[in-house]
Amino acid sequence: MGILKSNWWPWRVLTVISLVILGFFVLYPLGVLFNNSVRDESGALSLAGFAQLIDNSLFLEALRNTLVLGVSVTALSAAIGVPLAYMVARYEFPLKNLVAILPVVTIVIPEVIVAQSWLLILGNNGLLTNFMEGIGVELPSFYGWNGLVFSMTLVYYTYIYLGVLAALRGFDGQLEEAGLSLGTSPLVTKWRVLVPLMLPAVAVNALVVFSLVVGNFVLATLLGSRVPLLSVMTYNEFVNEMGGSPLLQSAMSVVSISIVGIVLFLQKRVVERKLYTMTPGRAPPAARVRSGAAAVFTGCVGFIIFLSILPLIVVFVAAFTETSGPVMRWGVWSCANLLRIINGASEPVVNSLTFASLATLAGVVFAVLASYLIIKKRNGLTQTLDYVVVMPLTISGTVMGIALVQTFNTGWLVLAGTSAIMVLCYAVRRLPFAVRNASSTLFNIPDSIEEASISLGVSPLLSFFKVVLPVMKASIVSAAILMWVTTIAELAATIVVYTGGLETMPIAIFRQIDGGRLGLASAYGAVMITVILAPIVVSIKLFRINLFSNR
Amino acid sequence: MASIRIEGIKKEFSGNKVLEDLSLRIPDGAFYTLLGPSGCGKTTLLRCIAGFYEMDAGRLLFDDDDMTRVPTHRRDIGMVFQDYALFPDKTVFDNVAYGLRARGVAKPEIGRRVDRAIGSVGLSSLAERYPAQMSGGQRQRVALARALVIRPRVLLMDEPLSNLDAKMRTQMRDVILDLVQEARITTVFVTHDQEEALAMSDRIAIMDRGRIAQLGTPEELYGMPASAYVADFVGSANTIPVSLEPADPSAAESGKARYRLCGRLLEGVRAYAGGGENAILVARPEELSLAAPDAAVENAVPASVVRRQYLGFKTSYRVRLREGPEIRVDLSAVNRTTDFHPGDPVQVSFPAHGRIIGE
Repeated sequence: MGILKSNWWPWRVLTVISLVILGFFVLYPLGVLFNNSVRDESGALSLAGFAQLIDNSLFLEALRNTLVLGVSVTALSAAIGVPLAYMVARYEFPLKNLVAILPVVTIVIPEVIVAQSWLLILGNNGLLTNFMEGIGVELPSFYGWNGLVFSMTLVYYTYIYLGVLAALRGFDGQLEEAGLSLGTSPLVTKWRVLVPLMLPAVAVNALVVFSLVVGNFVLATLLGSRVPLLSVMTYNEFVNEMGGSPLLQSAMSVVSISIVGIVLFLQKRVVERKLYTMTPGRAPPAARVRSGAAAVFTGCVGFIIFLSILPLIVVFVAAFTETSGPVMRWGVWSCANLLRIINGASEPVVNSLTFASLATLAGVVFAVLASYLIIKKRNGLTQTLDYVVVMPLTISGTVMGIALVQTFNTGWLVLAGTSAIMVLCYAVRRLPFAVRNASSTLFNIPDSIEEASISLGVSPLLSFFKVVLPVMKASIVSAAILMWVTTIAELAATIVVYTGGLETMPIAIFRQIDGGRLGLASAYGAVMITVILAPIVVSIKLFRINLFSNR
Repeated sequence: MASIRIEGIKKEFSGNKVLEDLSLRIPDGAFYTLLGPSGCGKTTLLRCIAGFYEMDAGRLLFDDDDMTRVPTHRRDIGMVFQDYALFPDKTVFDNVAYGLRARGVAKPEIGRRVDRAIGSVGLSSLAERYPAQMSGGQRQRVALARALVIRPRVLLMDEPLSNLDAKMRTQMRDVILDLVQEARITTVFVTHDQEEALAMSDRIAIMDRGRIAQLGTPEELYGMPASAYVADFVGSANTIPVSLEPADPSAAESGKARYRLCGRLLEGVRAYAGGGENAILVARPEELSLAAPDAAVENAVPASVVRRQYLGFKTSYRVRLREGPEIRVDLSAVNRTTDFHPGDPVQVSFPAHGRIIGE
């Protein structure tokens, strides 16, 4: 019912410390970025950067392409995700339980692996490309729009699927029964009762997908080829302007932040207001479908799942396949590529593990503290903390990296070129997710158990450690795993901030793909996926937690 | 064990005054209930005693120890929460042992005392269970054992029975009373359930908008409500506007008063000091009786039956007094002689000790 006294000094001090840290590593770099975008060479205030962008036809094309790509991928993702969610929520058919692996798959398979494995299949020298050529059919080039839309849809449809599935499961089936009892036909009832209530959930997740597509760098650069896109152009400008005035990279970053900013604003202002709170009712039981239809259902769902996990299979097969230069000799097995990594080129593996571990540790500790303050110790400052902590969401990896490099390459704190900037970059980028994760659990822990502990004679601070933390254990572990998994696979920001000697696995894979050595790239990919999966398997066994339950 | 003294406590939440200058003395060993509808401030008062809320003004004493500025964990209280607040990751044993461990009690003694506490609530066989594996009633017992095992100076209970079903609720009343009486511990019990309050308490404080409306034993509150609010909250009561006749000096002594209702002159007891002609008659449905219109009954007014509800042990009638309000009359099944039906003309007779209170 009530809230514990929040003016107790340690919580206040901790709130201030958290704000200072976030301000310094999130707000300050963003400020530097914005400031750089409105300065000319001499440092005077000017809008020259933006003027240059507007005159640049290539930039305008990139901007248009990015928006078109965003819209088409979002539409396609919805076209796959919504029906899939409806089938899974409302019908019972053979092998339906396979869909349970979808969320894990999306999180575990990094984008760089998705790009690479589809290149192995559909690229210029791909398995399917060559096979079709053999029977006289020429497939369209995978590079460019085809590959971009195809691979991004496969990566992002799960966001819409999971969001809509959760909404459908939370839907009170009695509402539909009420509609039927009032005399509308089943189809009309769905249209008038179900659809209006589900639309906001679709819209929220569609906006998330849109902003992710706009910020996407990895697939854009690997598959975009001659299609100019904003994120790739920003990165190229960053490389171009290295050492010079960071005008254009800053201006482009600001444009990209603005696009995502507008999307998030729409989400908050327009869509979230339409989200209805429903009294959690009984979800209608899943209907069993007849044999003919069941085959279709299983077929559709099976095909989608197959496409989603194919990269996983391809990368492991390719890792053990003999290569000669860029040519994959499918069917001829060999451990040469793997041995090469282990014997000579293990630095990226070690780097990835070190940075991800440190970032996970720092991120989780901070996330637990911040979410505890936000949820349980509300005061005037925690509201600000709540806003600042989710800010990195609006910033794509590339832009985040650029902001950090611009900020910490000179001055009293030089982090550029050190491993600290890698750790910092990872921790900050994933903070919103970790905080959201911890907050949702904390929200469900009643204040009364903490009060019970205090009433039994344990001080408030000690009660946090003895009562709250143990209850949060599962969510801390899952936040840590998610953070670990996503930081290991991080590429968009890494490629901006890394320097010689700080190469990580995704960077190595990226460079091998760039150099056309798909075999070696696959070997790195296989190692990376193993490293990603190991803690998941261990923690599921060890803590017996359900990591990916209906989030 | 301690007495509790609350002196002039004030508490407001962002300008909203929840407790207004409230004072209360709870004697050592009493079972004291704070009763009132939601929003009356009863839980706020309890949480001030516990120390979860800091009070804006006033003092709180356990015996002669000033607790006003003492933080909760050093107040030596036991608290039972509405949602039980068991630690979900700890077994029954560990939940109950929690407070003893915090007090640095030696291990063998912890074992002994916890076992005895769990036994006293009848859960000996479930010591290794986790809260999620138990029913609501069982969890409530654990919460009770956990609060009592530390032998606190005062026991605070915040609507502990409201999450239980009706049958379990009456059963738990006995469990709580047995344990509390055996430990002879000062208990403050918060509830909105008047039956619970009447059944369990030594004394009840009825609260209304941050103040104490009336304070007394269950019998006093039921039998002599000081206001229409109290009368209606404890049990149910008809509150009927009447006009007082000027008292004749000889009757005023004994408290007897005459009032006019529906044109008739009736007799009652004056329970307030104020002047004025307009007053309110408090009459509980079971104090009234019905008679045929031609029967010779005293202190009665004519009326007609509006609705009849048969409830087994009694029959409840809604009757409309002639040119007056609708009231409720309950006739018990035991001494009922005649039955009445909607539309029947009747006489409603009022007891000669009917309480008349100010407006």
